[in-house]
Amino acid sequence: MNKLSTETPAQSAKPTIFFDGVSSRRRQVTLTLGDALEIAEEGGGPVVWPYADIRRADSPAGILRLACASAPPLARLEIRDALLASNVTARCMRLDEHQTSRRGVAKIVGWSMAAAVSIVCVVLFGVPLAADRLAPLVPKPIERRIGDASEVQVKTIFGRNLCEDAAGKAAFIKLVNRLRDAAGLDDDSMTAGVLPTPVPNAFALPGGKVFVLKGLLDKAESPDELAGILAHELGHLKHYDNMRGLIYNGGTSFLIGLLFGDVTGSSAVIFASRSVVEASYSREAETAADTFAIEIMHALGRSPKPAAELMFRITGKEGGGLTSILSSHPLTEDRLARMTKEDRPPSGPPLLTNQEWTALKSICGSGKI
Amino acid sequence: MNDMQWTPIGSEPLPPPLPPTRVDFTGNRTEFRKLVTKGAMLELVTFGFYRFWLVTDVRRHLWANTAIDGDAAEYTGRAKELLVGFLFALAILVPIYLAYFLVGIEFERWQGFASTPLFISFYAFGQFAIFRARRYRLTRTVWRGVRFWMDGSGWAYSFRAMLWGLLVFLTLGLALPWREASLERYKMRHTHYGDLRGEFAGDGWTFFKRGWWLWLLSPIALVIFPLAPFFYAEFKAREWRWWLDGIRIGGVSLSSELPHNAFYGLYWKVIGWWTLLSAIFGAYIGGATMLVVALSGLSVEQAFGPGNAAKSIPMLVMMVVGYLALALALNIVMRVYLQRDLWAKVLETVDVHNIAAAADVRGSAELASALGEGFADGLDVAGF
Ligand SMILES: [Zn+2]
Repeated sequence: MNKLSTETPAQSAKPTIFFDGVSSRRRQVTLTLGDALEIAEEGGGPVVWPYADIRRADSPAGILRLACASAPPLARLEIRDALLASNVTARCMRLDEHQTSRRGVAKIVGWSMAAAVSIVCVVLFGVPLAADRLAPLVPKPIERRIGDASEVQVKTIFGRNLCEDAAGKAAFIKLVNRLRDAAGLDDDSMTAGVLPTPVPNAFALPGGKVFVLKGLLDKAESPDELAGILAHELGHLKHYDNMRGLIYNGGTSFLIGLLFGDVTGSSAVIFASRSVVEASYSREAETAADTFAIEIMHALGRSPKPAAELMFRITGKEGGGLTSILSSHPLTEDRLARMTKEDRPPSGPPLLTNQEWTALKSICGSGKI
Repeated sequence: MNDMQWTPIGSEPLPPPLPPTRVDFTGNRTEFRKLVTKGAMLELVTFGFYRFWLVTDVRRHLWANTAIDGDAAEYTGRAKELLVGFLFALAILVPIYLAYFLVGIEFERWQGFASTPLFISFYAFGQFAIFRARRYRLTRTVWRGVRFWMDGSGWAYSFRAMLWGLLVFLTLGLALPWREASLERYKMRHTHYGDLRGEFAGDGWTFFKRGWWLWLLSPIALVIFPLAPFFYAEFKAREWRWWLDGIRIGGVSLSSELPHNAFYGLYWKVIGWWTLLSAIFGAYIGGATMLVVALSGLSVEQAFGPGNAAKSIPMLVMMVVGYLALALALNIVMRVYLQRDLWAKVLETVDVHNIAAAADVRGSAELASALGEGFADGLDVAGF
């Protein structure tokens, strides 16, 4: 039996306050520490809190604030006297049971690690697999719609109208058709055109649209150079690279965003890791398109080497180091080396006659743009 | 049997008479710094998933150390609620992102870049999220055993925010005070403490009179860059004071004597830290480069030149590590200065009038879900 501090001087006794969780009235109470904690307000029956139900609630330093699992959820008891507080806490065995413990934190870390590892695995293996499997299954109409949408954007950037010189167009169609037959692409879906812009490039859009930019045509010195590049773009079409890239990029950016959340407060890490992961994926696609181009050129009895020489003329030596990890294309010098290895003397007829080639070169009119 | 009586003898403290009551913030700064440091590190090793726990801990610290009329508030929200809210929001946002993508394609077919206005729909969603997140936080705010709560509709709020946003855009920002007044009125009228209803007494004109010259001078800050933090601090202080002055709940009202230059120090400290940390980061990158060069025995040109991809990988790793450390440190600095210190600075200027009106309020209302917080997190519009 310890009768404690019943006659503590009033000056040192700080009031004990009770809020019943129903009203905001501040009730000054006295506590009786019996079998359970009895909270009595002057002139009212006591409220009884079993010790096992008492939990600690957040409070400023110097105040012990308690809640009770079997009382209204917002009922609070505030003990301001240190001695009384320690007497009460000594009796409440499950006071801090609900707080996040060290083990709880370890659990959070563990689960996050597991989540992160699974996301990384999905990014590295799951998404490419899904992209490879799903891309051929995308219905043609949807693919064509996406293609139409990107065509509008491309034309907004590179000029509204295709080059329409009749003789040049005939030559261009002849070249494209020969490549397409060799590639085994079905005819109905494919269109090709030359856009009047000095940028030296070519690209394939979803739904079978191939665009050559005038700048590339100006730099090309023979039909074989242009044909190799076109064959490479047809490779992209054949492998559904657009749709694969779309699914892949959408999936990875979503997952990597999910992974990092707002940890850095900015998207620099997201951007960097995305570029590295996606660049490696697109490097693979480019290498596969090169392989395809080599096969087509061989099937037509022409060498793939001139196309690589054209690329090299445009980009120059690209270097290595950091840039090679972030680059979306294989290095031009590596491509040149590869195509040089595949170089064979021409065994088939030229793809275009000299007149046709001259006509094609001036498809956008004779003047410079 | 333990039998103990506790009987405080003596006169009860009289309820404070007419003079306004103060709001005290008693939080220990070192404790807070430790809390956010630990939180930031855990955020790093958990790839950001710890953010729900950190945000909850920060709020618990700030709420529990804020005492109005001698009684401290309490934040009863828990991190798991935020996590669940985030996952739910994700489940809703993913199909929306997909639909957005498909609709975007249709628009693009019709006209290049025509889908840009669709961004507006995300703005609307963000406003909805802000309203719902506020509702979540309020229903987790408890003072004297009674919680705050909110009714009203998130979409109605979002609609207002959109219309006002358009007006602010058309008037080049001049309508901003009226936008804030109108939105604050909507939020406060749907805010309750037990059976007391909130109200917002501030009006746009008052705010405009306090800050119009900042609007006029803002182009200067674009030219003379170091002035920008001053302008922003000036604006924020005026905004806070105007906002606090307008708050009413039942018969209780707030007023604030926040000086116009209250935040200068805070912003400059943040900028100072930012500069210092960036300089350290720069020096670290420089040192790492030299180390790589020294260890590989190549010249700088060779080390980063062609054919040395493998050698640049350790460099890349060092850069990422350095960047993460920088992000972590900045995270701590922002939370300490812009959350804790700003909170303390604002609160010490606040007076509460007629607190007796809240002496016997009956509690009511239910808890709101954390879905809004989840959206806010998913759309990156969260406040704190
Ligand atoms: Zn390619």
